[in-house]
Amino acid sequence: MSIFILIPLLPLMAFLTLAFSGNRFGATSHRIGIPAVGLSFAFSVAALVSVSTGGPISISLYRLIEVGSLVVDLDLYIDQLTVLLLLLVTGVSFVVHVYSSRYMIGDPHYRRFFAVTTLFTFAMVALVMSNNLLLTYMLWEIMGICSYLLISHGADRTAAARAATKAFLTNSVADVGFGFGVVLTFATYGTLDIQQILAAAPSISGQSTNLLGWLGSELMIETNTLLTLLLFAGAVGKSAQVPLHIWLPFAMEAPTPVSALIHAATMVNAGPFLLVRLSPMLVLAPTTMTVIAVVGGTTALYGALVSLTQTDIKKLLAYSTISQIGFMIFACGVGAFVAAVFHLLAHGFLKGFLFLSTGNALRAVASHGHGESHAVPDSHALRLSSPLSLGALLLACIPALILFAGPYERMWTAHDLPSARAAFLFVGLGTVFFTAIYVFRGVVSLFQQQFAVRDDETGALVSIQPRMLSAAHVPGLVLGGIAGSALLMLLWSWFAEFLTPALGASRLASAVPVQAAVLSPWLLAPLTAAVAGWVVGYRLHSGSGLATLARSDWMKTLYVALLNKLYFDEIYDTYVVQPVLRLVNWLWRVVDLKGINSAVHGVGIAVLWFARGIGSVLEVHTVERGSTGVGRAVLILSRWLWGTIEGRGVERVVEESASSSLRLSAWLWRVVDRRVTDQALEGVGRLADETGLALQRIEPRTLQHHLLLVVCWLVLAIGLSYWFLL
Amino acid sequence: MPVLWTLNPAKFWPAKVRLMSLVFTDHLISWMIAVPFLTIAVVLFLPSDQWVRRVALAGTLTNLGLTGVLWSGFDLSTKGMQFVERSEWMPTFNIAYAVGVDGISILLVLLTTLLSPLCVLASWKVIDTKVKAFMGLVLLVEGAMIVVFTALDMFLFFMLWEVTMIPMYFMIILWGGPDRVAAGIKFVLYSLTGSLLLLVGILGLYLHGGHSFDMLHLARQSYPTDTQAWIFLAFLLAFAIKLPMVPFHSWLPDAHSEAPTAGSVILAGVLLKMGGYGFLRFCLPMLPDACERFGPAVLWLSVVAILYGGCLALAQSDLKKLVAYSSISHMGFVTLGIFSFNSQGIQGAVLQMFNHGITTGALFLAVGQLYDRTHSRLISDYGGLHKPMPRFVVFLSIFSVASFGLPGASNFIGEFLVLVGASYTSFVRVLLAMGGIVLAAAYMLWMLQRVVLGEAPRKIALLPDLSVRETVTLVPLTVMIFLVGLYPGPLMQLLDASVTNLLEQTKGAIPVDLAVLD
Repeated sequence: MSIFILIPLLPLMAFLTLAFSGNRFGATSHRIGIPAVGLSFAFSVAALVSVSTGGPISISLYRLIEVGSLVVDLDLYIDQLTVLLLLLVTGVSFVVHVYSSRYMIGDPHYRRFFAVTTLFTFAMVALVMSNNLLLTYMLWEIMGICSYLLISHGADRTAAARAATKAFLTNSVADVGFGFGVVLTFATYGTLDIQQILAAAPSISGQSTNLLGWLGSELMIETNTLLTLLLFAGAVGKSAQVPLHIWLPFAMEAPTPVSALIHAATMVNAGPFLLVRLSPMLVLAPTTMTVIAVVGGTTALYGALVSLTQTDIKKLLAYSTISQIGFMIFACGVGAFVAAVFHLLAHGFLKGFLFLSTGNALRAVASHGHGESHAVPDSHALRLSSPLSLGALLLACIPALILFAGPYERMWTAHDLPSARAAFLFVGLGTVFFTAIYVFRGVVSLFQQQFAVRDDETGALVSIQPRMLSAAHVPGLVLGGIAGSALLMLLWSWFAEFLTPALGASRLASAVPVQAAVLSPWLLAPLTAAVAGWVVGYRLHSGSGLATLARSDWMKTLYVALLNKLYFDEIYDTYVVQPVLRLVNWLWRVVDLKGINSAVHGVGIAVLWFARGIGSVLEVHTVERGSTGVGRAVLILSRWLWGTIEGRGVERVVEESASSSLRLSAWLWRVVDRRVTDQALEGVGRLADETGLALQRIEPRTLQHHLLLVVCWLVLAIGLSYWFLL
Repeated sequence: MPVLWTLNPAKFWPAKVRLMSLVFTDHLISWMIAVPFLTIAVVLFLPSDQWVRRVALAGTLTNLGLTGVLWSGFDLSTKGMQFVERSEWMPTFNIAYAVGVDGISILLVLLTTLLSPLCVLASWKVIDTKVKAFMGLVLLVEGAMIVVFTALDMFLFFMLWEVTMIPMYFMIILWGGPDRVAAGIKFVLYSLTGSLLLLVGILGLYLHGGHSFDMLHLARQSYPTDTQAWIFLAFLLAFAIKLPMVPFHSWLPDAHSEAPTAGSVILAGVLLKMGGYGFLRFCLPMLPDACERFGPAVLWLSVVAILYGGCLALAQSDLKKLVAYSSISHMGFVTLGIFSFNSQGIQGAVLQMFNHGITTGALFLAVGQLYDRTHSRLISDYGGLHKPMPRFVVFLSIFSVASFGLPGASNFIGEFLVLVGASYTSFVRVLLAMGGIVLAAAYMLWMLQRVVLGEAPRKIALLPDLSVRETVTLVPLTVMIFLVGLYPGPLMQLLDASVTNLLEQTKGAIPVDLAVLD
């Protein structure tokens, strides 16, 4: 058992402590959460050192299930990929915990908040460490319920409650795919151990499954393709990819630090992580890779476009996350797994930073009496004062640069069609372009904004500058620092080299030449796109560009469509949710109550009619006479019985039983008397005396008391007789 | 489960204690059957209602303790029946008093004895009229259920199967809700129909199996295929009504929702399991050919039940009915597992029966506690419970998420095993059954959203939180939910040998290694 078991264990223990402590900690709950996650982060750093020198570490916990050939061992596995994600998850989570300890002050559910965030951290940490597909699935779901609890944190608001339900249900629809994939993986590979599955993947390729066997027809699909598609379905849900992205913007109902946690550390990162973890399996299924690339690319473009139009800063960030995660998944789809991981890390730190800063800004507004209004006001004030924002902007573009920086060009041969390559290129560059615009806009409105706030007393407009909370400023800086230094330290080539063994070195090494990554001329393309986006963003904000655009009709239509997120929510509500509700109501009222239930009643009524029919067919008099006869016979019989039993039977029975019980007790007494030692006798005697005395006190003595006493004595007597006879 | 403590090998006990304990363990099951009936005898003579409750609680707790002894003395490696007792009863008809347990029955006995004390606790304050009669009925059901789950003689099985119905009927019509009489009559008529068919099946086996009611003997016989078919159909209908399977379920929502809390708990927690138990005890080992012949149909019916029950639960506006319909959905998993004819499926099915007993029992207890406060079962009458009753909300949420199979909670293990088992025969059914899990998540979370979250109406905002007694009622089930969900090993070891044995008896007719991919 390695010491690194503490990485997931510490947050778990913090959760258990908080969950079972009652109200002991109350407003000091963060004193449990922060050190646990902090230590967990420290151990993650240690794990990084250990893994980079000593290779992967395996930890076995216990056997969860063993039935026939189905064996599920809860194993943890720490390799290079895991260790990087551990750093991200525990690092961001630690900062979020520190930040929340101030942000959530005064919250009535302070303890619950920290309990759930620690559980959330535990689930994600354990997820990236898991070496068993079922364990992954379990933690996947536990993360879902954690997000449910955090989104519904402000439980008074109906919107929060709805958002929470929506988030969980959207995920559970996707998880049908994942769960089914797990079952199918077991059926195919005979194991759920991830390393064994990855090792066996090449031998399975070529096998195919008949999808329509149950209908008697045939539709063959390669087993690996089917499996990976199903597992990817889970990632679509959890990572908020189109078409299951609808839950993430609504998840903004959660307190802002939770958003930081969901968007930066846990939850949405699980999807790309899963894809990278299963990459040796994915590369064997080109169809799946194409699907992944298409879904990811669509999401990336969609998210970037929608976030251009959003006026709510938190919604804007949500769609930006959707877009960025889409970009990572797109990268996975074209085979650039290393770039995906790099982007994952960079985006994680950046998003964490952005959310926490947003929280500060919103706090600053809220403290002037406006509640948490998230609107981004239209503003033309533009000062590029903060070098921090510049850094953030660059960071958002850099992973994209890497993707186009050469080596992965060759991986794209997985999609050999020139049109496919062009499409991917277009999607990638488009995303970078639009990302630059909205990041520019978001950063500008956050940090360079003069907030105009109406003073409650005077009614006059008061300009305020958002202030950073003093303590919360530090985490922001820390995050920025971590991100910056991460960027410096993890030089791209080193990074790729470091990560390659975790991606199944033997299988991918030929396809990924690591060196000379930065020198490709392709580098210029995304850079140009980013700069172009930036310029467009500036033009739009400085006023002239926006006015020109607003004059054209199709632009307005597009704007409205994007503003409404392409009507995904409305479409789902009209074509999925409402029909399902109508269906279940119809099933209940028509099929169940009117159909099945009435059928049963019908049978009952038919039987009644049948009986009545028989009654009318039979001669009434005969029946009457017969029944009278029977009645008379019964009367005579019962009278006889009564006389016999009353007169002799009962008396005799009573007499006999009395005398026999007398005999029994006499016999018992003899037995007891003869064998019991004096001491025991004395003891029993004293006991009996005391019982008697105690019983005497209960007045009036009823028959029930006596009977109860008899029963007790009988039990005692049986016990004693066993004792002495044996 | 390692032998934690057992009376036999304890060397430090004096010889006499050891001898006594031998006498005791030799008749352990009889003792477990006797305790509820003895408790009834004591209860009948008690003068005060308070004492009636206390003695009933003591009796049920004693039996729970005895179950622990039974478990600790149970040999995990033995395949056959253990703790077998047999004595002649009506030799003319080869009827005997024969009881014994294997892993499957011990788990269901544990479920029975675990839920019974909680039923007594749940009725502590609510039942304030005819307390003696009510507690007597609870104890009577417990005793009868233990016999049903341990009987090795079909006649004994059938007799006590019938006996379980009567106390339930009285519980419903005497202490039930507004529509109690109709619900009670429906329950009895339905059950009687099932019993009649069960009797037909049992007599069929008796006549074709050498005039014996001995279940172990009958399982060793082989029967002509046609005979198997009609006996199987009789059993199928009988158990389908009890379980219940769609379309024989319409008694269940009424009976569940009209019964008092303890009645619902017993009904959903234990009584439904008699159906699944019947399949495992009669159909699989005695009628393997018929099982194979009708298996696919039953599997499809199970899938229909899972989806249909889930859909109907989603449509409900009544809390108890929602839980009742969810039971139909969950019991679909039981038949889905049983008729997969492999160890994963059957172990999953038995675990699912156990887990369903725990979670649905817990849900009925929780809903009952809510009903005690407001006398309303309508979801729309609630809202924002998190404010006045935070402790209750924690429990309700745990039970709800456990009920739809959240990993880490008990139901997940059973459902996963059933799905793996079912995947040996068909993937489509697995996929459809997983749709049932989504439905389950939908109706449970939607219920939580409407009951727990949001703004509390004024009437709701003043409700008192759980009392100590009510908390004590819920805690054991919560512990069981997580214990089974995170460390199901002991339960599965308990089942392992018995299920293997069951499959060996069935194996003659059914190929276990069905095509992995169809």
